[in-house]
Amino acid sequence: MTTRRTFLASLLAASASPAVGWAAVGNPSYVAAAKLPDGSYMLAGLREDGTEAFRVPLPARGHAACAHPERAEAVGFARRPGSYALVVDCRDGAVLHRLTPPEDRQLNGHGTFSQDGALLYTAEQRVEDSEGVIGIWDTEANYSRIGEFASHGVGPHDLRIMPDGKTLVIANGGIKTDRWDRTKLNIDSMRPNLSYLDADGMLLEQHEIPEFAQNSIRHLALRPDGLVGFAMQWEGEPGMAPPLLGLHRRGETPLLCEAPLADELAMDGYAGSVAFSGTGDEIAITSPRGGRLHRFDDEGQFLGAVSRADVCGLAAHDSGYLASDGLGGIQLVTADTATPLTRTEAAWDNHLIRLRS
Amino acid sequence: MRIPLLACLTLAATPALAGTEEALSDHILPGFGGFATAAEALRVTAEADCTAEALKEPWNAAFDAWTQVGDLRMGPTETGALSVYFWPDARGFTPRTLGRLIDDEEPIGTDPETFSEMSIAARGLMALEQMLYADDFSGYAQGSYSCALVQTMTADLSAQAGALEAGWRDGFAQVLRSAGQEGNALFQTPDEALRGLYTQVLSSLEFTADTRLGRPLGTFERPRPTRAESWRSGRALDNAVLFADAATDLAITLADTPMPQTRDALERLHEVADRVTDPALQDIEDPSARLRVEIVQQQVRALSQTIEAELGGPLGLTAGFNSQDGD
Repeated sequence: MTTRRTFLASLLAASASPAVGWAAVGNPSYVAAAKLPDGSYMLAGLREDGTEAFRVPLPARGHAACAHPERAEAVGFARRPGSYALVVDCRDGAVLHRLTPPEDRQLNGHGTFSQDGALLYTAEQRVEDSEGVIGIWDTEANYSRIGEFASHGVGPHDLRIMPDGKTLVIANGGIKTDRWDRTKLNIDSMRPNLSYLDADGMLLEQHEIPEFAQNSIRHLALRPDGLVGFAMQWEGEPGMAPPLLGLHRRGETPLLCEAPLADELAMDGYAGSVAFSGTGDEIAITSPRGGRLHRFDDEGQFLGAVSRADVCGLAAHDSGYLASDGLGGIQLVTADTATPLTRTEAAWDNHLIRLRS
Repeated sequence: MRIPLLACLTLAATPALAGTEEALSDHILPGFGGFATAAEALRVTAEADCTAEALKEPWNAAFDAWTQVGDLRMGPTETGALSVYFWPDARGFTPRTLGRLIDDEEPIGTDPETFSEMSIAARGLMALEQMLYADDFSGYAQGSYSCALVQTMTADLSAQAGALEAGWRDGFAQVLRSAGQEGNALFQTPDEALRGLYTQVLSSLEFTADTRLGRPLGTFERPRPTRAESWRSGRALDNAVLFADAATDLAITLADTPMPQTRDALERLHEVADRVTDPALQDIEDPSARLRVEIVQQQVRALSQTIEAELGGPLGLTAGFNSQDGD
């Protein structure tokens, strides 16, 4: 029922924000960035069947790192060293806002919106020592920067809002990098962690994986019941075949998910994306280096592998997962079977972002 | 899996598929056939005489055969290669697992039927090298547990080699040939199959430069000679050259031009390899010996760049977008 108050509120919201919802750009279920054959970049919206709902130009290579929950706006983060991010109108590719962090901060390539879309949180690091910072931006006020707090680790990468709508979970990658050339400076002493923070930035819970300290925790996936999946990238000696996926539930010890040794070796120590399946009863990671995807159940048991060259983007799909690759392929992965849906003359970038479930 | 003859003929007319077909029929399938034959010969010899001295020659012949196809990490050999060839063994699994088997005389070590369930670190060519060449393993006598273990390992290796040959010939070859056809999720276009094989060429050369040679070279201050591949059997340098030969041969089968610069680069690799003083790479603590190995490493990289320019460039093949630039 529309009361006078909600009517006024919606009127106000509409006048404050001329932007349109996702329906206006063809109702995509996913967004992804890609490089086109002529060397330019695009942002595309994809439907469940892999077809394009929209395609707009991007001014530079960037990840489609996050999408506004309601408005047809996506944030693309500049490649290293991360001096800016762009809020792009998915109708036409117009740059609505350019986000520039304070001078001594670098954006680390990921961000996430609050559930109501009012705030954008960005993973950043202090230029001089790579100490992690979470930047906070007000999306209703032209994406102005309204604050920041410590990420409680070095080199944070991915971050998400937990299903409670207020707790932040952060993958602190642990890698200290040179301010100019991004050389990794602390591989022998790195200590990545998984941190939970409240909305004020207070540390609630933190976990390290001491037996694999050189396993950088980088990407996250969430299940509505609060189970967190975290994907890792091995920085230690090649051939060590460490586990690349962990599962964690608040208050418990992280569970590492190991594949059989030959499969683990074939991943080449690298997981590029992580996602729960549409039903949530399993989780997968991709390795573009190994050209394969590994599936695990939600108790960490290995379920199987799917091979596909340069596969990296991964997101939940009602029937399993949607996976994108650098050859332009979009595939539907259901159990052990991959079904090609579409192939575009474009190289899909690292991540596939799901808009709604 | 069968595909209609008409489809074969139509697709064979495209240059991309022609390269794939030649790679299969001129390089890959004969390579797996040769390895299966050599592994079976090793098994037969071991059945008659399991001692290290008797097996070194057929083991080396099997390893030589393996180098022709051993770096192909796709289809049956994407993970199947690792139980034939488990290296590098960064965590020291192979001596530890074999030592435990022998100390406890575990029944699985003498049972070819169940040995395939063993850790991949105790199977294949590198585990056999440990048994045949490592001082603390190789002195076993006929009739001992170790003797039966070696017979089991060679039987398992021969079974693996046969399965890999069949898996390629009867299965994965058709996946490559049917690239671009409906439902082929691995290769959505014919070009993707060609690109997949081309990527194998470059990955092999990169592994030879960075790991086969780079791992023992370590740093100038701290070379690590015993991290060389097959240093005990003295194959370290030969392996680097043989794997580079195979990668080049595969590249030439993929090409529709004679590849003169690539052939020159390979010849140059043989020249600089001939100047290495110890084929086991055990003298690299000596700076001049080390330099000769570094020159081989540089030439492997030069060979790779030549193939990229002479094969990858004209075919429009590039390295992976995501695999090259992590996030």
